[in-house]
Amino acid sequence: MTFIGQLALALALLLALYSIGANIFGIRKQQADVLTSARHALWAMAAMVALAATALWSGLLRSDFSLEYVASYSSTTLPTVYKITALWGGQQGSLLLWTLLLSVFTGIVAFQNRARNSEISPYVLIVLAGVAVFFLGMLNLVTRPFDAMIPMPAEGTDLNPLLQNYWMAIHPPSLYTGYVSTTVPFAFACAALMTRRLDDTWIRSTRRWALFSWFFLTLGNLFGARWAYEVLGWGGYWAWDPVENAAFMPWLVMTAYLHSVMVQERKDMLKVWNLALIGLAFALTLFGTFITRSGVISSVHSFTQSGLGPYFLTFLLIVVAGYTGLLLSRIRDLRSPAELESYLSREAAFLFNNLVLVGIAFAVFWGTIFPVISEAVRGVKITVGPPFFNQVNGPLALALIFLMGVGPLIAWRRATRKNLVQSFAAPALVGVAAGLLAFAWGIRGWYVLTGFSLAAFVLGTVAVEFERGVMARRRMVHESPPRALVNLVAKNNRRYGGYIVHVGVALAFVAIIGSSFFKTEVKRSVREGQSFEIGPYRLVYLGLSSIDTAHMENLTARLSVMRHGKMVEVLEPAKLFYKRPQQPATRVAIRATLASDLYVVLAGVDDKSGLATFDVFLTPLVSWLWLGGMMMALGTVVGMWPNAHERELIAAAARRRVSELERELTAEAGGA
Amino acid sequence: MRYLTPLLAMLLLLAAAWGGTVIAAAAPPQTTVQVVGEGLTCQCGCGLTVANCNHPSCGFAVPTRDEIAGMINKGMTRVQILQSFMNRYGEKVLSAPRAEGFNLLAWVIPYVAVGAGVLLILLAVARWRKGESASAPEKPVVALAGDHFEAGLRQRLERDLRREL
Repeated sequence: MTFIGQLALALALLLALYSIGANIFGIRKQQADVLTSARHALWAMAAMVALAATALWSGLLRSDFSLEYVASYSSTTLPTVYKITALWGGQQGSLLLWTLLLSVFTGIVAFQNRARNSEISPYVLIVLAGVAVFFLGMLNLVTRPFDAMIPMPAEGTDLNPLLQNYWMAIHPPSLYTGYVSTTVPFAFACAALMTRRLDDTWIRSTRRWALFSWFFLTLGNLFGARWAYEVLGWGGYWAWDPVENAAFMPWLVMTAYLHSVMVQERKDMLKVWNLALIGLAFALTLFGTFITRSGVISSVHSFTQSGLGPYFLTFLLIVVAGYTGLLLSRIRDLRSPAELESYLSREAAFLFNNLVLVGIAFAVFWGTIFPVISEAVRGVKITVGPPFFNQVNGPLALALIFLMGVGPLIAWRRATRKNLVQSFAAPALVGVAAGLLAFAWGIRGWYVLTGFSLAAFVLGTVAVEFERGVMARRRMVHESPPRALVNLVAKNNRRYGGYIVHVGVALAFVAIIGSSFFKTEVKRSVREGQSFEIGPYRLVYLGLSSIDTAHMENLTARLSVMRHGKMVEVLEPAKLFYKRPQQPATRVAIRATLASDLYVVLAGVDDKSGLATFDVFLTPLVSWLWLGGMMMALGTVVGMWPNAHERELIAAAARRRVSELERELTAEAGGA
Repeated sequence: MRYLTPLLAMLLLLAAAWGGTVIAAAAPPQTTVQVVGEGLTCQCGCGLTVANCNHPSCGFAVPTRDEIAGMINKGMTRVQILQSFMNRYGEKVLSAPRAEGFNLLAWVIPYVAVGAGVLLILLAVARWRKGESASAPEKPVVALAGDHFEAGLRQRLERDLRREL
């Protein structure tokens, strides 16, 4: 397997290089068969990388400790599911997963564009293959997953216990899928710049890829937050850690991009901005990997650190410099007859929404790298932690939520006073009512009240949009309300998918406010049979049980959860003691309801006194975060769903292009 | 008018910078172990604050929380407590940089960047609107008035809408 894996990676690198060369030759000499060969080479490259990944998985499943990677990140006692996920538990494996995803996406792009976008697709494939060459170069020359372990140990070191968790099984692949798929729109943007085909064809061709990327970045961030919530045992889900920030920044920039491309499609504006955003999103994915791998900035999530930092930094600088140069060289061609008639317009709302999103991304970036700057300038180590990010981003988040409510309802070009009143009266009323209601419930604090009001305002705007659409269908085609709703979404899936995403963001925002401002914590040491209270709950400690396996020792406490004198659940928080590597871990127990999460950590057990110590948090509205995240994902799927109208638009654009080419050929023939 | 735009730009950037310092100075109102603990970074390597470190026998967070409780009982304010820890461990123990000296840049730059963004948008929009008014035709090509036209337009709109729906 070692030989097969190494050979497959070497062949994949050669195939990627061949594809670049063949594409360049094919473009220069106008030879279609050479271009076809370049495309086929990329499919072969994807097959080779898949073979290498299979070889490594095979080694992990067979506990083949002759491989250094398997010996370092697995063991004979590791459950099978984690043997599979150990592929991304270490440095080399996670780069291999990245390369696998990139190769598969490259193969799909080559397939999708075998008979369309013929003018730019060879350039797209050159860029994709170029990125693959970097990663394959790393895997072949710098960080090799198939290095041998001599002498072969009888047992492996095992996977880091913190990674032996369900959410860690799905969080990295989701995030990587989101990261890697930004390469596709980036490659199309590069190709559009190289070929000077700077209309919105590249945007339309990659719309679904951009949504696909955003979908997985959303899930990746969400799953990561859930992992932190369940595994780290501090009652929170987001700590503004550098690695969390690295995953959040591309999400913010891609969100800005998904909004600003609508302005380009509609008004032919913001061409430079859109190209800059997609370049930035791609660069930030590389920056994220640089942070995770280099150890330049310390992080609780950096499970593997290596000497890869300089390579990634060099590649990042080349990408940024090259892309910026290319963009600047085409700046004259990107001028468009832009017009913006009023600040009271949807395009203006989108402009400000982009500013706030990129502003938050910049604030996160700045806070992440500021310790490095401080140390370089003053020689003093400092920490930039949650208080900084919360305080700086808090006001920007409010502005963002406000604009999220304004954007969908305000008219394109220029909103009149009548339009504003008609559109916003009801949502504004809902917002104010929500704020007053919260105040009447005894909630205080300007940020909390404003945040709740704005979230309600956003929900109001979405409700108004759905209501308008359903009423229009009922009036025009006489459908029943449920049928009208279904057809409304089906026929305008992009628009209404976006609104569903907005609902998800509003729910998540409410969850963030609720869980940040109203969390309560109780720490108690109790003996068997004793109880304590938190909020509406009384927790009775029932006792301990212990299970010892070859893999770990599991010490589980049982707590009966009482509410209004009735038992509602038995919670079982545990302490896990992994045997290889010898490391303790926490398994929290959570009773989740829509109102709040009861989150119980077994902090310690004193064998002599029989006292068990529990750290218990009652955190309101956490479930809304996961619900909101799922709504975001659902809305993205709705927005991505194939749409006959969109297909017709793409076909019409293709027909127009064919006519243009025919005219050009006729003119050339006439001239000759 | 010549000086208006730069003046506005200066004012906007100053306002943004001021906003940053205000945000930085906004301290939590209460002095509790939780609030003060949020201001300190745990030194055990967990990457969390002293308030949130959940290592049950953490060599740093657990005694620090006890010490904070003692300091609060003695009547020390949040700022005094943080200062005391900073004197002992250096700036790295604070979970956010203090808004003074070089560290002020950490707080101010994000707002200055957003302020500069607002300014860029204002300038771009002013240019776009100028271009629009310069290129606007003096007379409308079609007189968009009259019941007959409106009725025709309405009919067409309804027809298109039916097709769309």
